[in-house]
Parts: sequence; structure tokens; C-alpha cells
Amino acid sequence: MDIAEVLKNTSPELFLPDLKATDKESALSELVAGLTAGMDIKNPDTILQMLQSRESLGSTAVGPGIAFPHGRTLAVQRLTILMARSTAGVDFDSEDGEPTHLFFVLIAPPQDLGHQYIKSLATLIDTVQEASLREKLMAADDYEAFCAALRGE
Amino acid sequence: MHPQLQLLVALQDMTGMIKEVEEKGSELEGMGFKTAGLDDLKRAREELEGQIEPQLMGAFQRLTAKFGRAVVPVVGNHCTGCFAQIPSSFVSKTNAGKLQRCESCGRILYWP
Ligand SMILES: [Zn+2]
Repeated sequence: MDIAEVLKNTSPELFLPDLKATDKESALSELVAGLTAGMDIKNPDTILQMLQSRESLGSTAVGPGIAFPHGRTLAVQRLTILMARSTAGVDFDSEDGEPTHLFFVLIAPPQDLGHQYIKSLATLIDTVQEASLREKLMAADDYEAFCAALRGE
Repeated sequence: MHPQLQLLVALQDMTGMIKEVEEKGSELEGMGFKTAGLDDLKRAREELEGQIEPQLMGAFQRLTAKFGRAVVPVVGNHCTGCFAQIPSSFVSKTNAGKLQRCESCGRILYWP
């Protein structure tokens, strides 16, 4: 799956360029609030609980300075991706102990045939491995510039 | 939403997550994700089960055994389990806090 395909599951409303939270608990709440504001979601608590369960399995802050909170829940009808950025950095319990600056949140319905969500996750992880790209993402002025950087433009 | 329904949805989501780790754990680990907390998650699921009324838990387990998923979303006035139409009276204000089941298949209904 290519990155342009993955980005079809997000939108300018699902972009948080300047997270306020600095700890994991409040960052998760802020990310879910962003999802709720960006799309029609009636049960944000269900999503928050799912993401918290996922973190108890092991932190999703696996990239250098990047986290990929993800999971399936009945609370959404289709794969939804929220992208967020923190200049100050969030203590997201990363493996290397470094603060997390970029967040890619993937929420999928349980019946995601073809595993679009796992494929999207894999594509995103591959894409952001390059340090120069991460710098571009941190510097991007807006959603369009952020997506263009991800697409390698 | 009915508080017990909220718990059932969380339980079903969590069960799906555990199943995914058990079935696709190596794929997730290949992407760099650790799944060391699987036992913690299973304990959390047991705790959650303990908060659900026994009678409802029994129904949930029977439906899960029969259909795979006991709780299904209602989309466009249809039960997504059996595609039967859900009467509009089900979604009236007086029913908003109630736990409702599909009259056709018996699955527990959830409005996402
Ligand atoms: Zn039904």
C-alpha cells in the first residue's frame, strides 16, 4: 500500500499541529478529543479505553520520537487516521526514553476486511523511518505541507 | 449509552485485541511493537467481566459463541449482524438508555 492511499483515511480536521499535553494520559485524551471533533463519533470514551488497553500491551511509541496508537473498536465505521504533532514532546513511555513528537493514530472497525489498517500502519512506519522526513514534518506549516512531506513531495 | 453496554463494547474490543495479538503477534512485533503486556490485558479483561451483570454476561457469551460477535452496530437502521431492519421506536428518546437486542437475531445493538 502506498502512502497516498493511506492518507485517504485522514483529513485536515484530523490534524492536530500543536498538542498541549506532555504526559501520556492527557495526550491520549487530547488525541481522542481531536478524533471526536474531526468526525462524527458518539462514544469517545470507548475509543479512549481501547487506546489505553493497547498501551497496556506495550507502548506504541516505537519510532524515534514517533508513536502509533492504534486498534479496532466498534465505535468507528471505517478506518480513521488522526495525525498530531508536539513541539515540546510527550513522555509516551517510549522504548528509548526520548520524548514523542509525532503521533499517527489509527482507529479501525472490527470488521476490517483485507486488514487495511495493519497495511496502513506498516506503510506509515516504513515512511517515517527517514530522519530528514521527520524534520520536514516538524517544520510543516499546515496539513497540506505535512501530507506533501509524507508523500515525498 | 447504557453503562452495561459500554462495558460490553469495551469487553468485545479488548477480546478482539487479545485475539489479534495471539494470531498476528509476530506481524506486530515485526513492525516494532512489543506485546509483553498480554497477560496484563487478559487480567484487565477478567476485571471487566466481573463488572458485568451475570445474566447479561451469560447472554453475551452465548451470542459470542453463536455469532463471533455479540454486540453489533446499527447502521442505517439495520442490524449489521443479520441486516434486519430495526424499528424506529428502538431509537426513540425513551429508549436511549436501554439495552436493546435485535428482534430477529438476538444480538445486542449498539449505535456508533
Ligand atoms: Zn439482527
